[in-house]
Amino acid sequence: MSFTLQSLPIPNWRWIRDLVWRIEHAFERARAAGRAEDDTRLRIFVVLAIFSVGFVVLAVGAAKMVIFPDVSRIEAVSREGGLDRADLVDRNGEVLALDLEHYGLYLEPHDIWDIDETRHALRAALPDLQATRLDHALNSKHRSFLVGGLTPTAKAQIHDLGLPGVSFEPEQKRIYPLGGTAAHVIGFTDTGGLGLEGAEAAFNDDIRKTADSNTPFNLSIDLRVQAALEDELTKAAQEFHPLGAVGVVTNVRTGEVLGMASWPSFDPNHPGQATDDQKLNRAASAVYEMGSTFKAFTVAIGLDTGVATPESTFDARVPFHLGYRTIHDYHAAKKILSLVEVFQHSSNIGTARLAEQIGPKRLSQYFIALGLTRPAKIELKESAMPLIPHKWDDDAVASTSFGHGIDVSPLALSRAMGALLNGGTLVPLTIHKLPKDAKVVGPRVVAEKTSLQMLQIMRANVTGGSGGKADVPGLSVGGKTGTGEKYVKALGGYSQTQQVSSFAAVFPTDGDAKTDRYFVLILLDEPHGDSATGGFSTGGWVAAPAAGRVIDRISPFLHVQRQTNLASLVSLPKPANPGDER
Amino acid sequence: MILFTRRVWGFRLIDVMGIGLLIALILSVYLAKTFAGRERGEIARVEGEISVEHQRVRLLQAEVAHLERPDRIAHLSSTYLGLGPVKFTHEIAPEALSSVLSATPPTSREAPL
Repeated sequence: MSFTLQSLPIPNWRWIRDLVWRIEHAFERARAAGRAEDDTRLRIFVVLAIFSVGFVVLAVGAAKMVIFPDVSRIEAVSREGGLDRADLVDRNGEVLALDLEHYGLYLEPHDIWDIDETRHALRAALPDLQATRLDHALNSKHRSFLVGGLTPTAKAQIHDLGLPGVSFEPEQKRIYPLGGTAAHVIGFTDTGGLGLEGAEAAFNDDIRKTADSNTPFNLSIDLRVQAALEDELTKAAQEFHPLGAVGVVTNVRTGEVLGMASWPSFDPNHPGQATDDQKLNRAASAVYEMGSTFKAFTVAIGLDTGVATPESTFDARVPFHLGYRTIHDYHAAKKILSLVEVFQHSSNIGTARLAEQIGPKRLSQYFIALGLTRPAKIELKESAMPLIPHKWDDDAVASTSFGHGIDVSPLALSRAMGALLNGGTLVPLTIHKLPKDAKVVGPRVVAEKTSLQMLQIMRANVTGGSGGKADVPGLSVGGKTGTGEKYVKALGGYSQTQQVSSFAAVFPTDGDAKTDRYFVLILLDEPHGDSATGGFSTGGWVAAPAAGRVIDRISPFLHVQRQTNLASLVSLPKPANPGDER
Repeated sequence: MILFTRRVWGFRLIDVMGIGLLIALILSVYLAKTFAGRERGEIARVEGEISVEHQRVRLLQAEVAHLERPDRIAHLSSTYLGLGPVKFTHEIAPEALSSVLSATPPTSREAPL
């Protein structure tokens, strides 16, 4: 070593060479000084001490690992195969979507003994697998992914084939056990676990974060309400054969969406097999000229501005000219109507006369305040932009006062209606469950008095107006029918036969402004009347009955008490068996 | 120093102590690692079992939710049992039950023998 060190060419290393030389010759120097043993013992002691310290450190470390195991490492091990996304549940904890462990199949061509046998066996086990994809994987030079999403059963079947070169790796797959139920609210993810539609997309980051805490993510919908809504919507759709249909149930005080249905629906487990029409959430993404349901806004604005009172009268004896339009009544009463009668008869003439008195400026200001000129405020990314008049003039007033010339989404209508019915504040809609004590605030758009008056007027429309078919025994249901003629480009105008028929309902209408109330919207796009409706396809014939049935079914779930006379209840004839009652 | 000069069984005391300490350290490390390995294996086994059971529970939850789909239950109950949505005549508040029962005439089954 000294030879090597001496041959070092670098002058700066001279001190190292000197140090090594002194150490190497220390024993010689000690022997020369007559203290050779002492020097050796010291060296041994130093070396022993160093090793001892090292071993003590190792022993302490090992003992610490035994006594205080690293919890984070164990957790990290258990998180392998953990959840990518939290479970989605309804407001009562019913499962809507969850991650389940599936398996991805991988091929290692170098380990395969018989390619033809492997190809034949895998084709038999996975009949949906594309032959080209399999051949590509078999002929690859590297290990490659073949197919994912295998259930434990499918994995076991392939594993039992004993094919060399075939291996599996666990992966999480999003499952929607309810199939098409609430599909548009829940939405779906891509294969990488990224939310693409519905709540999955709206709360993508929150759902991922919640997965870490191993707690489910609550949506606002009530599965019982959702099921009743979908059932009645489907029955209405099967009866009247519309292009599409929408159902919405909200709590007008909190803005929580308790049910949202769009027909036709799809299975979010297989979104690729569904058409765009099926995947379209008509409640959020489609806009419609709502027709007469908009009269509720015009009447409320008239009351709120002081332009009218419930007793104010309007001449509906002859058609009314406003702007470029001549306005007729669908069911011409041809008499002077009070404001309540205008609402009950759904008089276009009376409503337009009221709108004229309100004026374009105030009408547009209220429409803006009610959120009708913007996408509905809700977490859903697919919330559609409304189509509104370019200019708020007499023509626009004449049209929009009864729901023409303005296209809004059913959710936008639901939100604005909620403001008329909850005491006058515009609260945002939400599909996320709110805490019980949550205080929802929003800008005031109409006075509390106006809101209470609207509840009474809507109730009067069900007890003695166009919404009679939505009445439910024992419940104070209010509502407004709507039948909007559709603009057909080919005709260059509005069609007399193609309509958007709807019914906007609220219950209970009694109680003070703080009472929990529920808004129900049923909308059918181009329904066809049948013999039961006398061929009519207006909102009062096709949508109001469905809304009434929905309210009848969901009121127990929402703890809305019926005001039923017990004597009449017990005197009703008993059915032969429960099945006869349908 | 006595550590370097005193001899035990012919070995210097310092050497005996050093060897003893070394053996003790080796043994402690061996035992510590053995126990740690055993504990880690046990923890991994239990964690694995919990994970498998957790997956099974989730699978069962999904199956239950799938089988209890509202549309499926409605279809089965109407097809095989002739049931439909509950009529309002079948709704009653708990506090009103007694008054309804007293107003309803007793059935033959309830009549005294």
